[in-house]
Amino acid sequence: MSIEINNVTKTWGDFVALDDVTVSLPTGQLTALLGPSGGGKSTLLRVIAGLETADTGTVSIEGVDATGLPAQKRNVGFVFQHYAVFKHMTVAKNVAFGLEIRKKPKEQVAARVEELLKLVHLSQFGHRLPAQLSGGQRQRMALARALAVEPSVLLLDEPFGALDAKVRKELRDWLRRLHDEVPVTTVFVTHDQEEAMEVADEIVVINEGRVEQVGTPDELYETPANDFVMSFLGDVTQIAGVSLRPHDVDVSTTPILAGSTEGTISRLLKVGFEVRLNVLTVAGDDVHVVLSRAEARSLDLREGSTVWVTAAPGAAVVPSMRFAG
Amino acid sequence: MSSATAAVTPVRRLRRRSPGHTLTRTSGLSLGIAVTWFSLLVLIPLSALVVTAAGGGWDAYASTLTSPQAWAAIRLTVGQSVVVTLVNIVIGTVIAWVLVRDRFFGKRALDVVIDIPFALPTIVAGLVLLSLYGPNSPLGLHWANTERAVTLALAFVTLPFIVRTVQPVLEELDTDVEEAAASLGATGLTTFRRVILPSLVPAIAAGAALSFARAISEYGSLVLLSGNLPFRTEVVSVRVLSFIEGGNTAAAAALASIMLFVALVVIVALDLLQRRVSRRG
Repeated sequence: MSIEINNVTKTWGDFVALDDVTVSLPTGQLTALLGPSGGGKSTLLRVIAGLETADTGTVSIEGVDATGLPAQKRNVGFVFQHYAVFKHMTVAKNVAFGLEIRKKPKEQVAARVEELLKLVHLSQFGHRLPAQLSGGQRQRMALARALAVEPSVLLLDEPFGALDAKVRKELRDWLRRLHDEVPVTTVFVTHDQEEAMEVADEIVVINEGRVEQVGTPDELYETPANDFVMSFLGDVTQIAGVSLRPHDVDVSTTPILAGSTEGTISRLLKVGFEVRLNVLTVAGDDVHVVLSRAEARSLDLREGSTVWVTAAPGAAVVPSMRFAG
Repeated sequence: MSSATAAVTPVRRLRRRSPGHTLTRTSGLSLGIAVTWFSLLVLIPLSALVVTAAGGGWDAYASTLTSPQAWAAIRLTVGQSVVVTLVNIVIGTVIAWVLVRDRFFGKRALDVVIDIPFALPTIVAGLVLLSLYGPNSPLGLHWANTERAVTLALAFVTLPFIVRTVQPVLEELDTDVEEAAASLGATGLTTFRRVILPSLVPAIAAGAALSFARAISEYGSLVLLSGNLPFRTEVVSVRVLSFIEGGNTAAAAALASIMLFVALVVIVALDLLQRRVSRRG
């Protein structure tokens, strides 16, 4: 394991940012720290980088105990949400910064900078100032700057958070490809579940300073450990005390399904290829259901119809928060 | 221009190239007011000064400049102004840093007090300094009538300039830039030298220009403490006054125009530095 975090706690006054967190992040993979804002994921990333010190607990990077090491000595690359560019330096100078500090020979620095600018598709922009670049270009430059020192781990704090949706999506795909080219252990923080699901090999879900679940995107989606993880990773609805995905609800017009609940369709909406139903059950649940158009047509559903709903066989189901407490 | 709408686009495009010919009525009016005001207050009196100085011919210039007393005053004024400005560059930046980055008891009070040397009538500033460093000094520092008195008075009145120009820039500076430098392996000192200082240079240059300009023109705060001793503690503004009191207007104007030239050179130089740096960032 590349990064081992053991029993790390971090508080600011009364606020507990990290509450006894223990997690291992695998070598060579792209891991997402996913969770709502203020949940502690950025703090965890900054503790790994040495930009914050944990109150208690240990951090080791590549087998070396880094708990007491300052940020300068940890050999991590860090990319910030708002780029943190050195405004007065050209793009090439920004990328060269870490190498020049290490007093590398000039030719070697120049060669490495050229190589990195090519990697992030900014070869034409080396002589420009960061102010002359777009947000996406600036973030790619920041990434090249962090990679220049050949860090043992690359940490990205909401790297695409400040970009508009289109660029965000492009950079997301590009980061995935870059990681396949340069397989450095990478950890990135995001509150966007779609971003995490698309890019990451492994996801660590963090909420209120605690790790809720660790797993591959599939594992988290298919077998969420609790209601929070389930609802954070996608749409959720409740039937008779359990939470499940709206597309995992089976609908029939006769009570043939075992354990099904009777209800009335209160709303029917057709959006693109899917049909969304609200079923008001006799038990008082408002169940959301997503069907394909073909399914809805074959059942001849309309608003006001009486239907029976239940969890489909093999559906991911967890006790809902209202009942589990 | 046949119609207003048709004129809009070409006007906009032209304005970037030659601002002189495409003023709207409002901007023409405000430019007129600005230029008139500036001329009445600054340009015409300054030209009058130069004309008076030139009226005496080269001889007046030469005799003023070769007069050892005037020359000593110029040397003292410019020399001390340079010293004080250099001191302010260091101390002013440090004070600004402390005010922005550190947390300590009385920070708010210090932040307000910084402006006092600027707000006090200069003669009062002179009195304050005299009571502390004069003949009855409680500190035992008898700096009255010495060159140190000049340094002290100039340092006192110019203190706020660099603090106040650097402070807002420092407040705007993102700390994540310093964190980025640290994660790339830079020590605190390297980060300051290579990342923070370059961002502060334009503000420091602007503050230094103000500080220097104020120093070479200072009069009130140093007349009491310096004693105005010819060849030793007499600054240019005092010398100019004595020329006038002696009825030698041409010499006064000649000396004044030389200071005008010095001020221009320094301010333009600092402005160029500022432009060069800000063009890079």
